[in-house]
Amino acid sequence: MENLGVFFALAGAVCSALMSGIGSAIGVGKAGQAAAGVVTDDPSKFSKVLILQLLPGTQGIYGLLIAFITLTQIGVMGGSSDISFAKGLLYFAACMPMAWVGLFSAVQQANAAISSISLVNKKPDQFGKSMIFPAMVETYAILALLVSILSIFGIASLNI
Amino acid sequence: MSVLPMKRVLIVGLKKDRKRILEFLQHEGVIQVEAQNSDDDVFKRQDRSQASAQFRKNADIADSALEILGRHAPEKSGLLDSLNGRKELSREQYETKVLSRDDILRKAQEIVSLDKEYEDSRQEIPKIESRIVALRPWASYDLPLDFEGTKSAAVFTGSLPGGTTLDQAEAMLKEYAPDVDDCEINLISQEPEQTCVFLIVGRDHEEEVREALRKMNFAKPPLESADPVQAGKDLEARREELEKNLTSIDGKIKEYEGDREDLKFLSDYFSLRADKYDVISGLEQSGTVFIVRGWVEKRYSDALEKSLTNKFDCVYEADDPDEKDDPPVALKNNGFVNPVESVVESYSLPNKTEFDPSSLVALFYYFLFGMMLSDAGYGIIMVVACGLLLLKKKHMEPGMRKTMKMFFYCGISTTFWGFMFGSFFGDAVQVIATTFFGRDDITLKPLWFAQLDDPMRMLAFCFLVGIIHLFIGLGALAYNDIRNHQYLDAFYDVVLWYMFVGGCILYLLTLPMMASMLEMNPLSHTVGQIGKWLAIIGFIGVVLTGGRESKNWGKRILKGLYSAYGITSWLSDILSYSRLLALGLATGVIAQVFNKMGSMVATGTGVVGVIAFILIFIIGHILNLGINALGAYVHTNRLEYVEFFGKFYSGGGEKFTPFAQNTKYFKVKEEI
Repeated sequence: MENLGVFFALAGAVCSALMSGIGSAIGVGKAGQAAAGVVTDDPSKFSKVLILQLLPGTQGIYGLLIAFITLTQIGVMGGSSDISFAKGLLYFAACMPMAWVGLFSAVQQANAAISSISLVNKKPDQFGKSMIFPAMVETYAILALLVSILSIFGIASLNI
Repeated sequence: MSVLPMKRVLIVGLKKDRKRILEFLQHEGVIQVEAQNSDDDVFKRQDRSQASAQFRKNADIADSALEILGRHAPEKSGLLDSLNGRKELSREQYETKVLSRDDILRKAQEIVSLDKEYEDSRQEIPKIESRIVALRPWASYDLPLDFEGTKSAAVFTGSLPGGTTLDQAEAMLKEYAPDVDDCEINLISQEPEQTCVFLIVGRDHEEEVREALRKMNFAKPPLESADPVQAGKDLEARREELEKNLTSIDGKIKEYEGDREDLKFLSDYFSLRADKYDVISGLEQSGTVFIVRGWVEKRYSDALEKSLTNKFDCVYEADDPDEKDDPPVALKNNGFVNPVESVVESYSLPNKTEFDPSSLVALFYYFLFGMMLSDAGYGIIMVVACGLLLLKKKHMEPGMRKTMKMFFYCGISTTFWGFMFGSFFGDAVQVIATTFFGRDDITLKPLWFAQLDDPMRMLAFCFLVGIIHLFIGLGALAYNDIRNHQYLDAFYDVVLWYMFVGGCILYLLTLPMMASMLEMNPLSHTVGQIGKWLAIIGFIGVVLTGGRESKNWGKRILKGLYSAYGITSWLSDILSYSRLLALGLATGVIAQVFNKMGSMVATGTGVVGVIAFILIFIIGHILNLGINALGAYVHTNRLEYVEFFGKFYSGGGEKFTPFAQNTKYFKVKEEI
């Protein structure tokens, strides 16, 4: 039983990388299909639609970041891995915002990115604005990232 | 920092000078011509759209010839050649090339028709190949496939469904045509997909057999008049001929390689002429004179007047725009600010009541970008790469040059913040020192503090940056109101809000909970009281004035309350700056991940380890730089567009697009 702490903490870390990664993979994939369609028509728009395609990719990176910070904190990357059961659960909880918000925001951001890609296809001069719509969705991923980071750092100093 | 003042101009010239005046204006590229859309009895427009369409068509021919040439004889170009900009052409070179334009056009047409031939041949080959394949099962049959028999015997040649054996075929024939006794079935070939056979039958039973075969799903062979062997040979010969043809056309197209520059010139030349004829279509003209109306930047107006009136007999009039006019917008800024003009432009150019926000945008753009990327190593890479390109490629197009400059300054800021937070390719200094030199005491000390060690402090700093950014945005609104002499608006919309928001912030900072979260000492009680009263006065002011466009006081107060509710948007705006922390951490942590991976491989594996480390280091950091620079770019834009512009800027100005030499490949230098 005493080892369950590190198990839950690791499960949290893995979930955040896993779910955000899934979200981003779906997102970038969907946006990539739309982007490829635009490039068939007009190869000169490649760099613009590439940027839009990559926008839903950040959630995966945020997930990786949370996973990495958690792994360092719980000693899986070296150091002591003596985590109490309660702490393990806390780490698990701390990883959840990034895991879930990462998954769903990446998919939704991809939908916005696809619309923006078709916007850029019709009006290439509106690229600046088109970038903002998907970026709006990302705000929530960033907020989740923030809560996860602050929680993880906070847990380290808790005495339980 | 300014929107360039414009003048409305009117040029009246003699019709005999029309071509030269327009060419002169196009070359100068300082006037935006306004197309007129009404005729009267004296002045009429000439529709030259047909001529212009013809020129565009010619330009398209040149472009497609270039594209074809590029396919057959690719132009040798380096990765960075696209930064070279357009080639310069002197006036004499231009004139000589113009003389040979018909020649070049003919060449372009030849290339296009050669390509059509090439495509036809290329598309025929697969068709022939499939016919060859279809003939293969019939190879052992030595009659023509369409041979139908002699006077007394009918011959059926064809295939039965796959898997039918000769015995089965005979049995089926017996079943469907029991009376036929003089039929002979011969097998030509048997394959999984089909069984090829031929039948000989007396003319008497021809119809019965035909009917029986129909029931057996008998299919006719591919129709070739010669016997299958001969037909196969003919098709092979045809294919070879086509392939030879392809090589020879390819060779012919390659011979035009030397004309590439001429073709580029042709494309430019015709698009210039098409532009000119588009302009002519919108001009008012009488029998002897024509009128050009449009906009000129004020600073060029006098010079343009002088050179025009010196060269031609014409009248030039320039007036300042009046209230009703909506002049097109061009921005002019110093070298530090002008790189972000494109950022402003892609949001929207300032409308006529607004000032050019570029300087404010520039300052924060570099600052915020640097905070988000915040790694000295990456910053140095950006500075060096952009700096070298700016130095080496002197003739870069202005737009590209500005972008390069923007990333150059962003790089400087990134380097600055990188050293402030002690990040140089993540924790590369420490990792390399520990892994390879066994010295874990060497680290790059942050000049200020490391974001990872103290995220709360960083978060507080991000909010501070946000509050300053937003307050400056609000200040810009006041500046704009004052410029337009709307002093009361400045007070209502800005000063009251400063009091309201500022008071709230001050008051919050006196609360112990808030202060402990931000790791600072709570402000004193007096400050809290001041803050509280400022906020209350601000709130009452906003409620009273927020809905001031309504005359009805009840409505006005309700609207005022709604506008005071806008304080919640301030909260979310300020929180939005937490992305500075999140993205800053993302860069640092991912960099650390790659360093860690490298060091894990490198520990205790000698030279191989070092090489692996270097590989992981280079690939990993390039990836990280790419993805995080993209993130920093997108989110800096977002903070500027949504949070900052949301406070004061609406835009809506129309871009100044002068009638100029908008060419793709060359620009003509002219000595005037």
